[in-house]
Amino acid sequence: MFTFRNRMVPFAGAICYLSLALFSQPASAASCCGGGSATSLVLPKFSQSMWDVAVSMENYNGFWDSDGIYRDDPPDTDLNQYRLSLGYAMRLGSRWQAAVVMPYVWNSNQYTGLSSSTRGLGDMTLGLTYEAFDDIKCVWKVRNWQDMVPAIYYGLALTVPTGISPYDNVANSFDITGRGFYRLDANLLLDKTIYPWTATLLMSYGRYLERDVNREYGNYVEPYRKQLGDRFQATASLGYGVSLENMATVTLSLAYAHLQEDAGKVAGGTDFSTEMEKNSVSATLAYANMDKDWIFKMIWSHASPYSGHGRNFPVTDIVTMEVSHVFH
Amino acid sequence: MSSIKFRYALLLLIGMLLSACGDMTDDLLPSGDDKRPPVEEGTSGTQVGQQAPDFSLYDTLGNSRGLYTELATAEAVVLYFNMWCPICDAHASHMRADIMPAFPNVQFFLVDYVTGSITDSRAAQEANGYTDMDVLVDIGQEQFDAYRASMGTTVVIDTAGIVQMNEDYKDGARLRSTLEQLP
Repeated sequence: MFTFRNRMVPFAGAICYLSLALFSQPASAASCCGGGSATSLVLPKFSQSMWDVAVSMENYNGFWDSDGIYRDDPPDTDLNQYRLSLGYAMRLGSRWQAAVVMPYVWNSNQYTGLSSSTRGLGDMTLGLTYEAFDDIKCVWKVRNWQDMVPAIYYGLALTVPTGISPYDNVANSFDITGRGFYRLDANLLLDKTIYPWTATLLMSYGRYLERDVNREYGNYVEPYRKQLGDRFQATASLGYGVSLENMATVTLSLAYAHLQEDAGKVAGGTDFSTEMEKNSVSATLAYANMDKDWIFKMIWSHASPYSGHGRNFPVTDIVTMEVSHVFH
Repeated sequence: MSSIKFRYALLLLIGMLLSACGDMTDDLLPSGDDKRPPVEEGTSGTQVGQQAPDFSLYDTLGNSRGLYTELATAEAVVLYFNMWCPICDAHASHMRADIMPAFPNVQFFLVDYVTGSITDSRAAQEANGYTDMDVLVDIGQEQFDAYRASMGTTVVIDTAGIVQMNEDYKDGARLRSTLEQLP
């Protein structure tokens, strides 16, 4: 018998899938100015594995200078980065899961006096996540305080510098698809669905490992040690889901993200040039089929081209189309 | 079973991608070895210790600026290769605030190698707030290529025309020490 309640219970579970999907953004390939995501794929509870394919188009639209003042790009400039990210997550145990994300990057830069188009691997991310709960925390009605408890995920993510960095054998900065540093991130993800609303909070703190440098853009230089600054990221989102007649589900979410990176160290001194801050908003439209094994997402991330919304970082719009397939 | 096959396929794909990268994977095992090629001092070239070849570029006000003409009245010439990006701005603003006041007899130039025209370069200079600095327009990227430069490359040429520095700006410490030790 089809009742409101037995329709809502699987629906709440489906929203759980979609809420996690909001944070299954494959790691962005970092540009020479920063970027890159601190997270990796997160597998829904009780699922065995998942693969993910995402195509992102990032358009650059000026930048914030080191004082937070918005600056336009030079006239007739068209700067874009395209990314194809392949991801795979698998369950290691009832509470443990691991994931890998590998991006491939195309840089397309057009100035009046210069045209450049390059491509290559981005920085790979390896993730290990612990789920601090056994039962699904999505509910369709709050009856007691325990129904308010969110799903909590603790994660570690290692960024591996498989991309093309300034320290590789490259000609110039337009070839860059990665930062060139290992980074270890500690992630905390809180996720709560109370039908039809979903709220999530992701916090991440990352530390780059210091490395030797003996080459800059293809030219060998006097060796020195370099370390990028610590990285902090926080993203909060609120989503609303509806169930369709065919039991598929659609969720629309809005998110606010803050990203910052401290000054680094170079040859014993302070490297202020990579210290940055970025604030952005995003909207995600996600669709999951009835069996909840196919998830389609469209994400639009927007950084505001006005002063005070960031510092020492490009202003970009990112459109991402993403497909995930979950094996139950 | 299909899941296991997919895992192997994914691992194979990743392996293929990595193996296709060749020497682009140097970052995985960074080296601190000094691999700079030996430079024969006194020869003409753009590397440290070499005699810089003369060049002439237009600035954003339409004036022709020659290297050795500038060196005739300055203790040194500093070239900062600039593409109007956040890191370039961080470097240039640091250089303007912390380096330039200490070396009033040195001629500092931003070298714009991306806009391709005097008009566009001037517009970018104004939009980025650098009208108080001299900007050279490297149309065709001739000097960019000659100095094997990239974003942030900083070149110091002393009054005798000898290249004293040619590397990334970093935190500006190397530029300062190079200028302090000018012959």
